[in-house]
Amino acid sequence: MSSLTMADAALKRKRVARKRLVNGAQNGVWFLVVCALAFAVMLPFIWMIVTSLKSPTEVFAYPPTWIPKEFQWSNYVEMWNKAPFGRYFMNSAIVAICVTIGQLTSCVLAAFAFARMEFKGKNVMFMIFLSTTMISSQVTLVPTYLVMRTLNWIDSYQALIVPFLANGFGVFMLRQSFRTIPKELEEAAKLDGCSRFRFLWQILIPLSKPILASQALFAFMGNWNSYQWPLIITNQDSMRTLQIGLRYFVSGEGSTQWGIYMAAALVVTLPVIIIYFLVQKTFVESMASTGLKDI
Amino acid sequence: MKKSILILVIIVLLLSACGGGGSETSSGGGGSVDADGNVTLDFWYALGGDSGKAIEDLVNQFNESHPNIKVVGTYQGNYTTAMAKVYSAITGNTLPNVAQLGAAPLLGSSGAVLPVKDFLATDTSFDLEKIHPAFLQYNTAAGELWSLPFNNSVPILLYNKELFVAAGLDPEDPPEDIDELLEYAKALTVKDSNGVVTQYGLNTKDDTHWYLSTLFLENGAQIVSEDESEMLYNSPEAVAMLQTWSDWVNVDQVMPRNQHAEAQSDFLAGKLGMLMGSTSGVSGIQKDAAFRVGSAMFPMVNGVRKVPVGGGSLVIFKNDNELIRNASWEFVKFLISEQSSIYLTSQTGYIPIYKDALDWPEIESIIEDNPLRLAAINSLPYAVAIPVFSALGNSDLALQNAIEKVELGSADPQTALDEAKTSVDHAIKTQFSTPSP
Repeated sequence: MSSLTMADAALKRKRVARKRLVNGAQNGVWFLVVCALAFAVMLPFIWMIVTSLKSPTEVFAYPPTWIPKEFQWSNYVEMWNKAPFGRYFMNSAIVAICVTIGQLTSCVLAAFAFARMEFKGKNVMFMIFLSTTMISSQVTLVPTYLVMRTLNWIDSYQALIVPFLANGFGVFMLRQSFRTIPKELEEAAKLDGCSRFRFLWQILIPLSKPILASQALFAFMGNWNSYQWPLIITNQDSMRTLQIGLRYFVSGEGSTQWGIYMAAALVVTLPVIIIYFLVQKTFVESMASTGLKDI
Repeated sequence: MKKSILILVIIVLLLSACGGGGSETSSGGGGSVDADGNVTLDFWYALGGDSGKAIEDLVNQFNESHPNIKVVGTYQGNYTTAMAKVYSAITGNTLPNVAQLGAAPLLGSSGAVLPVKDFLATDTSFDLEKIHPAFLQYNTAAGELWSLPFNNSVPILLYNKELFVAAGLDPEDPPEDIDELLEYAKALTVKDSNGVVTQYGLNTKDDTHWYLSTLFLENGAQIVSEDESEMLYNSPEAVAMLQTWSDWVNVDQVMPRNQHAEAQSDFLAGKLGMLMGSTSGVSGIQKDAAFRVGSAMFPMVNGVRKVPVGGGSLVIFKNDNELIRNASWEFVKFLISEQSSIYLTSQTGYIPIYKDALDWPEIESIIEDNPLRLAAINSLPYAVAIPVFSALGNSDLALQNAIEKVELGSADPQTALDEAKTSVDHAIKTQFSTPSP
């Protein structure tokens, strides 16, 4: 073995070592960046929790305190007693769950038709569906209100649920996802005597779990957070939802009790956060696989 | 394919079946009368927080003292959302009987509201003369009294007594006019060694148009012409006031540039000496402040004091049933009664609406219990009303824009107010083609 090859080998080892070092440093830097971003995202949440435990005078203390001097757990008690929050919780849950199930059902069926079937006027209909996503909800507020009025649905669960059972964006998203699944799969299934509905139920839906999970999350969150429609369409306390309850704490003219308000905000946000963690795995998968390749 | 249609059909059928069970609402307006003549009224209100609590208390007091009438009060969001709700209820014919709203007299042109004179014609027990004229003017649109005053506030000056002491100012002797205001503000402005301001002397809350309008009126400027067809706030008197405002920011540097949204939290954090705000927020500020808060009447200009009122009013909606109409009037009369006015004044930052309220022992004891309320309640004799006209909302926004431009240095006061006038005049002419007689 000549000295040259030995030097070569040493050089190679060195290079590998350096590469590892650079990689390690790069990973370290990335880790720090990600940590910083995560902290930036967490900050409002942390601030909400901290504020919810402060007394009114400490909320505005300058410089701000990160750990409350005295933990005001009473903020939570006061918040819960201020309005019928139990009832609001139930209403919000009923509405959000019904809308989520309804939206998934209608979107899956419509998306299946648009992605997998041939019928007259299909493209025109799809365009009409798509165009609904471009109309802001404020524009349709009054017409929808009048429809609800004609149906005698004001102050009812139907009024809170039915207008949201279909969703143009959901149809679009699912259609794109369904189209990525090879046609051959359907043909093979058909050959084995599989009906269309069974193909949808047993093959397409299980394959589209991630996209369905994210659609479910969108539907749930969108409804859980909606304020204007529930406010307009309900008149009695017993039909109102959490987001309206939150506003009871806000006074436009300066007497908002921030500690109690933040306690309420935390309680209202909690279910959404929990659900997010529950479906997180499938949700992240869908982020990676949301391919909009063949529009 | 067939199956999916079947499922859709089933869903639709299920949903329409649910609908059949929906509750019936009476037609021709809200409210109901049972066989024994007991009336149930729907009442919408637009105040949350402590003020909302005070309204609920008043509703309960009314229900206890009126066995034949039951008022169901519901909170409907702030003034903006409550008004949006009222407009959708007008189109859907689902109005309540009584509502507490901001800019209420503008509903007069909707045709859904009953003018107050309809009730006064048959009921002599209520004397309108006792109410301070500014509040009646505030509820008049196109010459007609459409609503009645309920919760009213005026602009006021709040200050931090500890910072006054630190600056060598007497905490019991707040500024009286805008010249003194500037002197005090200079004393209260603190810079660090690099010349960076760490504490400002003066700021206003984000409804800047209200404070500028106050200065306009005090300096003899008019907001809008008599016939409400043209804005008049590009006059020399008005421009001079916006110039003063501009100087506070750009020349004297006692007011931070374009930071009105943060003014209240800066004040509560002890970083701001004086704050122009509404009397309605006083109790909240007192609760949140870790220092002694002082209050003073809004500063005068050239010895003139005029404070334009703000706040919400009560309207009664049309209804086919006479019993319901009369019950609505009973309820409104109760809410604006002397007793209710005292109660609201004691529980919130709002001021009494009666001319002679300053002589009432109950009002005196409210001030004794809480001296911070003195300045607010003492402002009552100086109350005036900015005319309520259809483009008032546009005008408020135009003034806010003018202030922002001047503070940021993108326009001089004359140009900014000329532009504001032009845009609002345009709005009056195009959006609303209903010239008042």
